[in-house]
Amino acid sequence: MTPGVASQHHIRARRGYARRKTSNAVMLLLAGLTTALALVPLFWIIGYVILQGGKYIDPSFFTQLPRPLGIAGGGVLNAIEGTVLLVILASAFAIPPGVLAAFYVAYYPNTPLGIAIRFSTDVLSGVPSIVIGLFLYALVVKSQGHFSALAGGIALAILMLPTILRTTEEMLKLVPPALREASLALGAPEWKTSLSVVLPAAANGLITGFLLGLARASGETAPLLFTALGNDNFDFIAQVRSGLASGQNPIKILSGILSQPVDSLPLTLWKYAQQPYPERIHQAWAAALVLMVFVLSINVAARLWIVIRTLRMQG
Amino acid sequence: MAIAHTLSQPLAPPPVSIRSAEGLAEIESTEAVRPVKIDIRNLSVFYGKFRAIAGINISIPAHQVTAIIGPSGCGKSTLLRAINRMTDLTPGSHAEGEILLDGENILAPGIDVVQIRQRVGMVFQRPNPFPKSIYDNVAYGPRLYGIHRRTELDEIVEHSLQRAALWDEVKDKLNQSGMALSGGQQQRLCIARALAVEPAVILMDEPASALDPIATLKIEDLMQHLKEEYTIVIVTHNMQQAARVSDYTAFLMIDDQRAGRLVEFGTTNRIFTRPEKKQTEDYVTGRFG
Repeated sequence: MTPGVASQHHIRARRGYARRKTSNAVMLLLAGLTTALALVPLFWIIGYVILQGGKYIDPSFFTQLPRPLGIAGGGVLNAIEGTVLLVILASAFAIPPGVLAAFYVAYYPNTPLGIAIRFSTDVLSGVPSIVIGLFLYALVVKSQGHFSALAGGIALAILMLPTILRTTEEMLKLVPPALREASLALGAPEWKTSLSVVLPAAANGLITGFLLGLARASGETAPLLFTALGNDNFDFIAQVRSGLASGQNPIKILSGILSQPVDSLPLTLWKYAQQPYPERIHQAWAAALVLMVFVLSINVAARLWIVIRTLRMQG
Repeated sequence: MAIAHTLSQPLAPPPVSIRSAEGLAEIESTEAVRPVKIDIRNLSVFYGKFRAIAGINISIPAHQVTAIIGPSGCGKSTLLRAINRMTDLTPGSHAEGEILLDGENILAPGIDVVQIRQRVGMVFQRPNPFPKSIYDNVAYGPRLYGIHRRTELDEIVEHSLQRAALWDEVKDKLNQSGMALSGGQQQRLCIARALAVEPAVILMDEPASALDPIATLKIEDLMQHLKEEYTIVIVTHNMQQAARVSDYTAFLMIDDQRAGRLVEFGTTNRIFTRPEKKQTEDYVTGRFG
């Protein structure tokens, strides 16, 4: 090998290196830009809602019921309480069957029933939410003769169910089979093993799954249009208080609350945003901000809880 | 067997010379030395149509360590898991033959699996503590069997951890997660968890394969103590380990139908020094496997 050939080779290698370096820089820049682009909508939405909604929020917004047009003030207490109530109802209806079905699917994935559950869950998650609302309208609202929190809660539960089932199933599959075997080898029955070993081992993941479902449900409008309808005067705290004061049976109070129409934040937003009155538009922005903070803070709180729990387990 | 009971044997297996003085140790003669705890008779285990092990006959002596060795896929783990019916967990599996635990066939219909698993504990290949505190890990079993009084549980937890040689290392942090322990400690925790339900037999499925040499040594030491109170059956890939820890060895190999069969069973000393079968000799001298 002559020195000339060696240096030529060297130069060619250097040129190749420069090209690689440039193309690496270009690709890195592109990747960075597209990442930024993907984040733009998120921060834009958050920022815009805070700017628009922040102006119109005051304490009374959280503590008062809506007032008729033309009368200043008023809030969305009905919608806040309604959202909380609907989400609790939906979770109560969706989580127990969702989790139990997830156990079945995770343990017996290849049985006919397991395959059927998984398939129908996938189909269910593709059903447009407004169709679910209509279905509940036909099923519950028509037969009861009135709109109700109960119908809204069931509609949201059906909406949440696929998310809960599939995330729970995934989380259960992540639990090492050795843990289950360890419990069974001690003579524990299957249900006890599932309940006291597998479920706690998957708990952190499950809570994330519940929250995903919950966050989705609390932002839904369409299924509530035909079920919960909306109710400017809904205030269940006041109802519970006055009911208890007059010595009513708590079950009766509860059924009274569940059988009346309720409002929710997305529903209020939807109604107000299409009205031509500036004060309603303002309140719609404020409601959007409250809804956003509501969903975000559920997420953050849950993640904090997971962190604390993990730290405590390690510490 | 009643006569055998009265024979007291030193803890460590006697030197080879003494054994050889007894003459060539046959399976029958080793049986005569010790009372039999688990008598496996003509055992076959099927996964669907596939026969994983076929026609196994082993008499596992009480208060001894019995090692099951053999090349990968020869059915060692299947044999072990059959002894506390963990094979039931595999869909489509079934067993034929008999496994007599203290004379009672645990494969018989109508046998309570829970009761079998209480008497036959199991330690797995990888340490698998529950994601609970050290205390709750050990107390899990006793609670299953209805023990809930705190004082009683405290006592069981302490006693079990002591027997698993872990108490001194964890007595000040019983409320910490079992997952925070080192691998070797986790495995001893799993042993303590198995001991807490007062089993008579402990099955160990390659209990040290995921551990470093020092942790392995601790587990092996522990087995020597535990055999005073328990009958131990261990599956191991590691022949040195089998030679170190066990008193009896069963050597399995697959036949031409890929079913695991027992090639030879006898005292560890004899299997490793004077195997009767050529296959055993080839395996223990490292010529294959």
